[in-house]
Amino acid sequence: MNINMMTLQRYKNELIILMAFIFLILAFTYKLSASTEVHDNRADIQKQITQISTIIALKEQWGGKKLANKVKVLQTVVPASKVALFKKKSKKLVASYQNLTGKELSKVTNKLINIPVQIVLLKINQSAKNQYTMEFTCKW
Amino acid sequence: MDKSNNRLFIHKNMEPVSLEHSVEIILTPEFYTLIREELDIKFAYQAKQIAESLFDDYLDSKEYQYHVTKGEGAWYFYAYNIEEIENFIESIGIEKYRVSKIYFAQELKNELEDPIQLSETTILQSIEGIVTLIPSRLMNQHASFKTLNLKTVKLNAGISMGASYASLVSLKETILLSSIFIILGTVFIFEGNRIKSSISNENTQLTQLLDDNPSYGSNMIRENILEKYQPIDKTERAKRQSMQDISKLLSANSELTTLNIEKSIIKTSIKISNTSISKQVIQSAKAKSFKSTSNGENIILEKSL
Repeated sequence: MNINMMTLQRYKNELIILMAFIFLILAFTYKLSASTEVHDNRADIQKQITQISTIIALKEQWGGKKLANKVKVLQTVVPASKVALFKKKSKKLVASYQNLTGKELSKVTNKLINIPVQIVLLKINQSAKNQYTMEFTCKW
Repeated sequence: MDKSNNRLFIHKNMEPVSLEHSVEIILTPEFYTLIREELDIKFAYQAKQIAESLFDDYLDSKEYQYHVTKGEGAWYFYAYNIEEIENFIESIGIEKYRVSKIYFAQELKNELEDPIQLSETTILQSIEGIVTLIPSRLMNQHASFKTLNLKTVKLNAGISMGASYASLVSLKETILLSSIFIILGTVFIFEGNRIKSSISNENTQLTQLLDDNPSYGSNMIRENILEKYQPIDKTERAKRQSMQDISKLLSANSELTTLNIEKSIIKTSIKISNTSISKQVIQSAKAKSFKSTSNGENIILEKSL
């Protein structure tokens, strides 16, 4: 043990350099492992964030709780006499309009496409010059 | 000499000793050459650099080691031969690994103002500030000798047996290389931490999202939900885009007669009042990926969403 201590004393400069070098190697290994770990994890984390954010956005857009109120505007956008049917049940709306002018048709259509509901069925027919019937079924 | 003492004077007339413990040895002038110089030098390493040259005229061709101390405005330069010392201490029964420290008797110059008797033939005394070995026959027969308790004297400038050998790498190179390695290592650690922390924002964001929506923790659940909503999103956007595209085809000379959307198919019929614009409508519809068929005044457009 004492002989070893003497050897250590004799070669202490070399030992100091060796320890500093080992420190350098360990530090470099740490940097490499950090780099590999981050590289592997980043793509996975970003994928998860994108997925969750997309789900939240899609659910909010196509299944938002306020849609039931928003669709009510489709009943009042044209005179009541032109609304032949407006039946809202659960998360589904069936509506039909008659004697719509081109302008009114455009108004209803614009309202409909600006509300994020799923248009299951849409039928527009010209009944006379500048007169249209329209019916649609949508859900959310 | 008290053999249980942890310090021993080493002189050539000493009796063999038997030790069970480590020991600090104090070399008497027989084992070193001393030069005292008043030099305008600040640091010990500078003094050590010139030590060898100072002894040029005093030493033989053996390999010497050098030690430097500073005291009372002067530098004390010691030259010694470690192999000679090792051989001697082994010859008197001290294994060299038991020597924890080597001191020079010169350090005790104040304590040795009065002589001490090392052996029957050898006296150690400080003469004009230099510790000197004196044959006892030169001393007054009635001279009295003091007893020096080595346990209590203060010794500072010791060297270790191993350190007395020259290292393969100089101190300057050691400091330079070690500093470079440590600085580089620190840079690597710093860089590693920076790389690791670069992902912490994403981690925090993900943790926050999962805390708010714990049901989305499973990849399978997320993919199932996306499989449900992504086609809805794609189809519904396509329906709306197609309706807007159709509205752009309508003008004073072209009016809508029918429009149907059912099962991801959009079909429309446009009545053209002026046949000259029929081609233009068909080309515009084609640009929007509609299939078109023309029947005189009517153009029928169809597209799968």
